[in-house]
This record gives sequence, structure tokens and C-alpha cells, in this order.
Amino acid sequence: MKKHPVSLTVNTDTYDLLIEPRKTLLATLRDTIGLTGTKEGCSTGDCGACTVIVDGKAVTSCMMLGVSANDKEITTIEGLASRDQLHPIQQAFMDKGGYQCGFCTPGFIVASKAFLDENPNATEAEIRHALGNNICRCTGYTKIIEAVMSAAEVMRNS
Amino acid sequence: MSEYTVLGKSVPRVDALEKVTGAAQYGGDVHLPGMLHGKFIRSKHAHAKILNIDTSEAEKLPGVRAIITQDDVESGRRVFATDKVLYLGEPIAAVAATDPDVAEEAADLVKIEYEVLPAVQDVMEAIQPEAPHLHSDDTKDGPARRVLRTELRKLERDDSQDHSARIAELNAQMEELADEVYYNVSAETHSDAGDVEQGFAESDLVVEDTYVIPRVHQTYMEPHVSVADVESTGKVTVWASTQGPFAIRSGIAGTLGIPLNQINVIATTMGGGFGGRFGVALTHVPAVLLSQKTGRPVKIQMTREEEFTDGRPAPGCVIKLKTGVKNDGTILAREGLAFWDSGSVSGASIGSTIRLRGVYKFPHLKVDAYGVYTNKSGTAAYRAPGTPQVAFAGESQLDDIARKLNLDPVEFRLKNMRVEGDPVPAGPNEPKVGYKETLQAVADAVDWKNRTKGPNQGWGVAIGDWTNGCGPGGMFVSIHEDGSARIFHGSMDITGTDTALAQIVAEILTLPYDEVTISRGDTNSAPYATGSGGSVVTFTMGNTAKLAAEDTRRRLLELAAERLNTDVESLELKDGQVSTIVADPPKSIGFGELAAYSLSTTGGPIVGKGSFARKPSTPALAAQIAKVEIDPETGRIKVLKMASSQDVGFAINPMAVEGQIEGGTVQGYAWATMEEMQYDEGGNVNPGFVDYRVPTTADLPTVQSVIVEVEAPDGPFGAKGVGEPPITPTLATMANAVADAVDIRITELPMKPEKVVDALHGNGK
Ligand code: FES
Ligand code: FES
Repeated sequence: MKKHPVSLTVNTDTYDLLIEPRKTLLATLRDTIGLTGTKEGCSTGDCGACTVIVDGKAVTSCMMLGVSANDKEITTIEGLASRDQLHPIQQAFMDKGGYQCGFCTPGFIVASKAFLDENPNATEAEIRHALGNNICRCTGYTKIIEAVMSAAEVMRNS
Repeated sequence: MSEYTVLGKSVPRVDALEKVTGAAQYGGDVHLPGMLHGKFIRSKHAHAKILNIDTSEAEKLPGVRAIITQDDVESGRRVFATDKVLYLGEPIAAVAATDPDVAEEAADLVKIEYEVLPAVQDVMEAIQPEAPHLHSDDTKDGPARRVLRTELRKLERDDSQDHSARIAELNAQMEELADEVYYNVSAETHSDAGDVEQGFAESDLVVEDTYVIPRVHQTYMEPHVSVADVESTGKVTVWASTQGPFAIRSGIAGTLGIPLNQINVIATTMGGGFGGRFGVALTHVPAVLLSQKTGRPVKIQMTREEEFTDGRPAPGCVIKLKTGVKNDGTILAREGLAFWDSGSVSGASIGSTIRLRGVYKFPHLKVDAYGVYTNKSGTAAYRAPGTPQVAFAGESQLDDIARKLNLDPVEFRLKNMRVEGDPVPAGPNEPKVGYKETLQAVADAVDWKNRTKGPNQGWGVAIGDWTNGCGPGGMFVSIHEDGSARIFHGSMDITGTDTALAQIVAEILTLPYDEVTISRGDTNSAPYATGSGGSVVTFTMGNTAKLAAEDTRRRLLELAAERLNTDVESLELKDGQVSTIVADPPKSIGFGELAAYSLSTTGGPIVGKGSFARKPSTPALAAQIAKVEIDPETGRIKVLKMASSQDVGFAINPMAVEGQIEGGTVQGYAWATMEEMQYDEGGNVNPGFVDYRVPTTADLPTVQSVIVEVEAPDGPFGAKGVGEPPITPTLATMANAVADAVDIRITELPMKPEKVVDALHGNGK
């Protein structure tokens, strides 16, 4: 299949790639670029494990083609922490036990970041609603919500 | 438990950093140079003869490297269907190609001719004589005929006297019960204690119901995946996302006839399992076969749709249940008959049917269970396998009885619960247990006695019991020259068990928690460890860790005694040092110094060893109370409160324990209200998250977990298995809450809104 040139900015780096038009953004990130922190739980847009931020918006990367991400800025879970400091959401997931198997965790953290960046004063109900497209099978969500709420507070205060 | 410094504390998990940064490597993250991608060619019918398999078109597709069928399995063990397929999605062949999309295209090009056969999906239909038979030789007597046949056999064997009259009578009775012959039976189990007929005769109230519990998928978030690399020397390496690397190793060896010592299984981080990630069948063996054939590493990753059609979910079942009680609420007798839908292979959790006895004193009990073949994929464990199903039946019926007798449902349960030393129907007497404490704790947590409710609101209570498994495991603990300790072992961590092990070792060695690190070896390097299922790891590997840490302490004391010119008895471990207990002036020496010193001693480096096989485990109870509100228009059940208590013996890490309680409770809630794998004659019809709904953040309020600690005599520091119990009561908890709210008893799960509405209308509301 004929490949197309694309240029993606992922976290801080720009990648000039040749990819088949049928490859999803998720496959491009994982298989071509080798950033495997973004997970594939369903490939039908229903679980949120593959959530990344594209131009400031949370996107399920299994539902977006790699070629459609041309010239866009993408943030993945690997781009959240700085060299010596975790993002407050990551820190909160760690402290509150907001994960177990961890497979849904990158998706939850990235989706939470996209949401809290836009809605720093969100209520618990709003957070529950905003994360409604992300599935976690292990935690029952109690500690995930606790983590996001406490991260929101840290982010507001910094 | 304040005497501990690290145990009983909610320290962050040892794998926290890699999990929140996306660095953890799961099965699907393994990428090897030259790796090919495998895809299955699957049956398009639920029951059919395979007339022909034509791979010629697919082979011509550029990028395709191999296509294999059962003909390629030299051992002859069944990996692919050959003559007949028994369910939609059953693997018939597999292809390896240079790219996953090419492999998928190739799979579509394989042409299979079928002769479609009638299929059966419903267990109660499958046991009828007119149902299609999946396997031959699968007919069994029902419970009453079985009793007759047992007597008949005995009499026929006894020629000491003439039994012909009785034999004729028995034959006639068998004839009368001709309907009670079940077809398509995969397995059966029977137990009894006392005399149920007598028990029912003595009862003031006898209640009979039939309960239907659907098949549900474990729905671990990471679909099955494996990468296999077979070298030209025949050495096999498999990267697997699995609960049991050692079981995978022996499974591959057994299935393909490869010597055990030629197989190395490297277990990756695992995206959930819940019991569904043990089997060797799904991806591991086919990946090895494809790698053998191509000489290249091969990855097979199932899609979510394949998980639903070819996963090994929890069995659904039909339970007929009869319970007899006295007017004062004393339970006398129970009789249960269960039909478990085992799909196309034997193996549903039918052994759990005995848990219909709950934790109550049943003087009379009789339980008969049958596994039944249907045209579905086989089943596997799911969190306390079989127990949520039977607890749903048992606890729903008790709730109805409490209502009929006007008894408080908590008091009624407490009155009948067994305590230490009580006989267990069809089992050994109770050891030290915390049943009453656990139910009382959750009742107290919600202030049960003073509960109030508005219109269409209701409270439901239920319990579930489980006993953790136990298995063999080995472990090493070494001390580095910087004084820190490292654990090396081979058991899989899903729930935070590595953290518990690090806490145990830190406590015994008096080290800070972060001075203990932990490494998991592959099956080539690590000592054997039992699979991570059956709430087994903290109990088994916790005991192992205790032994290994104590062995390490012994060696530290010996070395310190040498260095400090004293004897071992006058020394103790304190704050990561070995110090004199009473001495003037006090002397001490650091672990780091001892580790460095050990390198030049005849005894050598400090390596503590722990090896453990078995100790009796203690039953644990989970108890729950939910408050719900029903919208009579839509039938929607809103959970206003969910409290969940569990006896964990001792909570080594309370945060991790709460996580298990919360997660298990929500899974149970989902089974009760929304989850159900649906089948028509053609097979599964809801293979995706749109039609198979699982709960999200929007569904439930916070789960209130209540930790109860009734020490397990043989658990590490008193701990019991934690992972499985919390799912066991929830199906009934929810049904009982709905019954209390709107006076309808739903006996067939899930309680989807439309079912609730139907039941309400049926109730004249
Ligand atoms: S993998 Fe993209 S939403 Fe599930
Ligand atoms: S932590 Fe396992 S799916 Fe969320």
C-alpha cells in the first residue's frame, strides 16, 4: 500500500514519517515511533485506553488516522512528566492508588489532563462525566476520582 | 497493629512510577526485530462441519509468511478445529505476515466451506434429548435417577440374596423418571449432608425459586497477546501477558511436545486478568507454531471482538433452589440443582455449587450440579469462580424468607451464621472465622438500625464467602553493599502483591520500605511460583517472603556476631543495622558493611532463601449493603450508597486492600445490572463495548470499604487472600435492594432497565 508523508509533533519532538493511510494514529505512535505508553484496549473508540491530546483536545487515537494528524501537536503519557518531576495528576494517581494493573492509567491521566486544563474548577460530578469514555476494570473508579480531584486542587494552587 | 513500622501502611506500590508514566511494558509493547504478526482464521458459524479449507489465495498476498492449520501441529494435540467447529469464532487456522493489516487481509482470503449444523445456546434446551449433541457420550442421570441408579448398581453386584423384586421396582421408577436424563453433560458433582427431605418436613416455610445468571466476560483491559521467538536450535522464548508463567511453560511443553527446559516464558506486566488469563490455548501456542514455521518472532494480539467471541469468560448458570426454615428464622434445609453453561469444552466452575451452603448452619443440605455443553467458547475463572452466581441464588432466597417471616435481614443472617468449631455441611468444621464480625461491620458502617428511605428507595444486604488458594513458591532476598535488600522471585503481580512482599521483607529486616526493591525473573531464572489466581499470592508468596527474610536475618546476625566479636543471641536487627540488645557501650554494624564483608568470607554473599508449599488457608467473608433508588418510568437503578466490608485477616497495605474491595464490588454491581454476553443460534451477538456495557465513572458513587481483620493463623502476619471475595455478594446485594425498593424480585440477571420496568408492570405498578 502506498505510503504518505506526514509530520507529527509528539511531545517535544517532530517526526517526519511515511505511513500507510490505513494506519491509525495509535498504530503510528506505538509501532512506528515506538511510544508504547498509549494503550490499545478496544480499537473501536469505546475504552479510552488510547487517549492522547491532539492540539489541546483529548482524542481516542485508535479512531484517528495517522495521516489526519499531519502537522498537529500531540501529547502522550510520555510527555507529561518533566525530567525530574511528575505531572500533578501522575503524582496523585501514585499517592491515591488510582491504578491497579495500570493498563487504563495512561488514558485516564491524559484524559484528565486535557479536561482539567480546560476546567480547573471542575466538580466531582463534572469529572465523573468527563471521564465517562474511559474504562477501568480494576479499580471501581473510587480511587481514580479521588486522584483526579486531589490533582485538580494541586493544579489550582500552583 | 501499631507495632509494625512498614506493615499495615498504605505505601505507594513498587510499580507506581512505571505505571503512571507509561513506561511499564505490557505484552503488546514487546517489539522484536523482524517480528511478524499473527491473525486467526475463525469459524463463522456456531456449529458446522468443515468441508474444505483453501488457503491458496491468502498465500499469494505479498507479506504473508505462513498459514497453519491443525495439520501443522505435529504433536496431534488439538490447537485448531479440523472436522467440526463448535462455536462462532473458533480458530481454524492462523496466518503470519509482515504487518498486522496484511495478516488481517490474508485471514479474510482464506476460504472455508461449511455444512452448517443446528446449534444450541441455552443450557435448559441443551439437556433435552432433541438438542443437537456437541460431543458423543454425554448423557447423565438427573439427581433422583442417580439415587435410584446407585442403589440399583449396589443390588446388582450383591448376590448374597435375591433382590429381584426391588430391582424391578427401581427399574420401574427409573422408567417413570425417563425425562430426568440430561443430554450434553460435560461434568457433574454431588454432595449432601443430613437428610433434606426430613429438613423440609420439619420446616414451617419452604421456598422454591429458579435463578438465571448470565455469562459475563472478565473484560481485563489488555486483550490476550503473546510474542514467540523460536530459535533455529529449537529454543523457545515466549513473552506473555499471563497470570501464570510457569503454567504457560508447562502448557506449551505439553501441547507441543517441547522439552520444558527448552522453553522460557518471560511474563510482561499484565493488563488485568481476574482469572481469565491463565490458559495456554488462546495465543501462546499458535504464536509458537507460527514462529517455528517462519523462523521469525511472531506476535499475536487479540482484538476486543475476538476477546468476546473466543475469550474464556465466566459461565452463566441456572440454579433451582429450595430452602426450608422454622418460623423463628432457624434455617433447616437447602436443596440446590445447578446447570452450568460450560460452552463447548468441559470446565465451568461447577465445584463452587457447594457454596450454596453459604456460611450458615444447614443441618440438611443437598447439592447437585451439572456442566452442560453449548455452542459457545469454553469458560474460565472469574474472581471467586462460580461463587457470585451461587451467592446470588442463595442470598436472594434468604432475603425473600426474611421478608416473609418479617425478620430483619441482617439479624436473620447473624442468627444462622456458623462460628468457629461449627460443622460445615459437607465439609470440615469451621476454623477461626470472622463471619459475624464482617456482616456487623458493614451494618454499623451504614448505621443499619437507623436506616431511612424515601419513595422507590430500598436497602439490600448480602454476603459471600471464599477461601483463598495456596500453592508452591520460592524466593531469594539478597543484601547489597549499600545495605539495601532485593527480592527476586517469579510470581506475577496484578493487585499490588509485589508491594506487600516488599513491605514484609522491609519489616523483618527493619529497613525503610524504599530500601527494598523487587525483581521478577522469567521461568528460566526464577524459582517456581504458583500462578496468580485464587487470591493466592499474598498468602503464599507472603509466607515465602517471610521465610526468605528470616533466612537473610539469620545470616546478617551471624556475620555481625563475627564482626562485633559477640554471639548471635545478644544481637538484634534495628533500623537497618545489627545492634547489641543490651551492651555497654552499644555496638552496631550496618547491613552494607556486612554485605561487603560477606564477599570475603567463606560463607559468601548474603542470600536468604524462602521456599513454601502449603499451609491451611482460612475462609473469608465479604458483606455488602447497598441503598438504591428506582426510577419507575425508566427502570433505572441508581445506587445511592454502596458499603462493602471484608475480612482480610490483616491488611498489609490498606490502600491496596481498599482497591480490591472497590474494584470487586463494582464488577459485581455490573454483573447484577448491565453485563451479559448474549447469544443467538449463530453465536455471540454483542462482541464489543457498545453492546456489552461495563460500568464507567458515571455509574456509581464512591464505594465505602470497611476492612475487618480477624487474623488467619497461617497467613503471613495474619493476612488472608484479598482479591476475590468482594465480588461475591454484590449480585444479590443489588437484587435485594431492588426488592426492598419496589417490591419486585428479579431472579434473572442482569437487572437492565427494561427488565425492571417489565417486572414493575407485572407487579401491577
Ligand atoms: S483503544 Fe481506542 S478507545 Fe479503546
Ligand atoms: S487499573 Fe486495570 S484497567 Fe484500570
